[in-house]
Amino acid sequence: MMASSNPAVIKTCGLSKRYRKVTALREATITVPEGRISALIGPNGAGKTTLLRLLAGLAAPSSGEVAVLGSRPGQDPAFLAGIGFLAQEIPLYRRFTAEDHIRAGARLNPRWDEASVRHRLTSLGVPPDQKVGTLSGGQRAQLALALTLAKRPRLLLLDEPVAALDPLARRQFLAHLAEAVAAGGLTVVLSSHLVADLERTCDHLILLAASEVQLCGDIDTLLAEHQVLVGPRKDTTAIERDHTLVQAVRTARQTTLLIRRNGPVIDPAFETADVGLEELVIGYMGQHTGLAPVPAHPTAIGEDQ
Amino acid sequence: MTWLVWRQHRNQAYLAAAALAAFAVLLVVTGRQMASQYQSALAACTPSHACGNLANTLILGTPLLSLLVTLTVVVPCLLGIFWGGPLVAREFETGTNQFAWMQSVSRRRWLTVKVGWALLAAGAWGGAVSALVTWWSSPVNALKSQNFQPGQFDIQGIVPVGYALFAVALGIAAGTLLRRTLPAMAITLVVFTFLRLVIGQDLRSHYLTAITKTFSFLQGPAHSPALPTGSYWVVSQGLVGPRGLIPASRPHGVGISVGFHGLSVSLNNMPSACQRLALAGDPRGIFPCLTARGYRGLFITYQPASRYWAFQGFETGIFVLLAAVLIIVTAIVVRRRDA
Repeated sequence: MMASSNPAVIKTCGLSKRYRKVTALREATITVPEGRISALIGPNGAGKTTLLRLLAGLAAPSSGEVAVLGSRPGQDPAFLAGIGFLAQEIPLYRRFTAEDHIRAGARLNPRWDEASVRHRLTSLGVPPDQKVGTLSGGQRAQLALALTLAKRPRLLLLDEPVAALDPLARRQFLAHLAEAVAAGGLTVVLSSHLVADLERTCDHLILLAASEVQLCGDIDTLLAEHQVLVGPRKDTTAIERDHTLVQAVRTARQTTLLIRRNGPVIDPAFETADVGLEELVIGYMGQHTGLAPVPAHPTAIGEDQ
Repeated sequence: MTWLVWRQHRNQAYLAAAALAAFAVLLVVTGRQMASQYQSALAACTPSHACGNLANTLILGTPLLSLLVTLTVVVPCLLGIFWGGPLVAREFETGTNQFAWMQSVSRRRWLTVKVGWALLAAGAWGGAVSALVTWWSSPVNALKSQNFQPGQFDIQGIVPVGYALFAVALGIAAGTLLRRTLPAMAITLVVFTFLRLVIGQDLRSHYLTAITKTFSFLQGPAHSPALPTGSYWVVSQGLVGPRGLIPASRPHGVGISVGFHGLSVSLNNMPSACQRLALAGDPRGIFPCLTARGYRGLFITYQPASRYWAFQGFETGIFVLLAAVLIIVTAIVVRRRDA
């Protein structure tokens, strides 16, 4: 399998971050192999930004282990040179022009790809001599992304990078990202709370909910491990014992279960179906946020039938 | 990094350079006039040995100009508020520190270059303004021997450099801790003003033990100690009472002062009977009146003119030391705290 042959670019164990009273991230253990485009998905406030900031070395963990590109995220230039991080707020100097940012990057980075950033900005129509404060939100996002890529990082950490882009620009950007990864030597983690944005591009998933990692792995593997069971309203204790129940939706006539399989399902009363990424994500998120379409607690109704 | 710092702050630098240049032109032009005015007045009075009264007759400069020069006392504070306060705070406020910290540059280097240039600029501007004021004031200093006095001491010599370094360091530290520009500027204004006042009023006079000289009512001028010369700084003065020195309370309540041995001493805390004599226009009767009540003479406590540069050194040292502490705190906070 690919996952075992590629060295891990990100490896954390029990990684936690607490702010005074709030735990922003609890006991996160994840592995991202090299060459993946990993979707970091979770509802707002799930800890996506906290995880990315810990990986980038912008924040220090409260406890736990973290290794990024083989070293602990820190403030030394050698580590920083390998990381491209773009915060959600798109931090740029409002009084600088795009050109100023390019020059600053050239002076502050050892592997600065000035030609590529210029080329990107020209093709996107971002004016180089206009103050950044006067650019549109989308143009600013494009500029910030181009600058982050120009650093030629080995790991790109992008916090909601497509939020400010229009649908066409989103697709172009994600396609560009996929090309860059295909060219080799690049791993990407990008966060979003919209699954549809990422489904096409990403091959790895980190699912966060309620400050905890719910799932982490290659999307194909995760989808193969999960299954939707649709059947009559009946006792599901046996299924819950053999498999891990993620979500159960029970109506008057029908039971729909999302399970993580531990082997084949042999209850003939249930029809099995493959799981889509969106279904999987919503299933796990529903456990914690109560966002499922119908009462989400598996034991709420009808255990005695 | 230097390029980035320059690009970020070049407008501030241009503005400050323009203000300094305008100030320099004004002071050089008027300073030359004042110097020649003083020289010619001195040349005129020397043959007739009438220069003793020059301080009272010669007026150098205009009141407006003197006010402007006195107001340079706020220059370090302005540098602290407008250069120090926003330096780091604005980056946190707008999130641009995350841009800088995600380039291949350590936070330590980022801070070193920013703070280094800010302090260098503060020292240069503080020093330039002070050098201009010191040079401009030299005829006034020679005429009135006032450069040790509070107010003048604070705008001449090397202390303005220390103030400027401290003020900017204070602004940087406040901005780093608060992460917001306006509160950092306000804190800089308040803390800087408070510390300057406390150190100027309560600490400065104790850098070295002051010298006290007493002048007995019973001794003639020939037997009295010599008056200090030059720009000495009178820390305290008053009466030698029956049980020791009685300093005149400050501020002087009643504006009576009596000349004695060429010394002018405010007598507002003398017994009311003697005060009444003075108010009645009988200054000569005061001394017998005081002697009859057990008062023995007058005293002044002062710092001699020879200590001027030692005091400048002490005061500068204190503020440079405080600035260093603030910068160390800033460096620790920037390194340890999350972005």
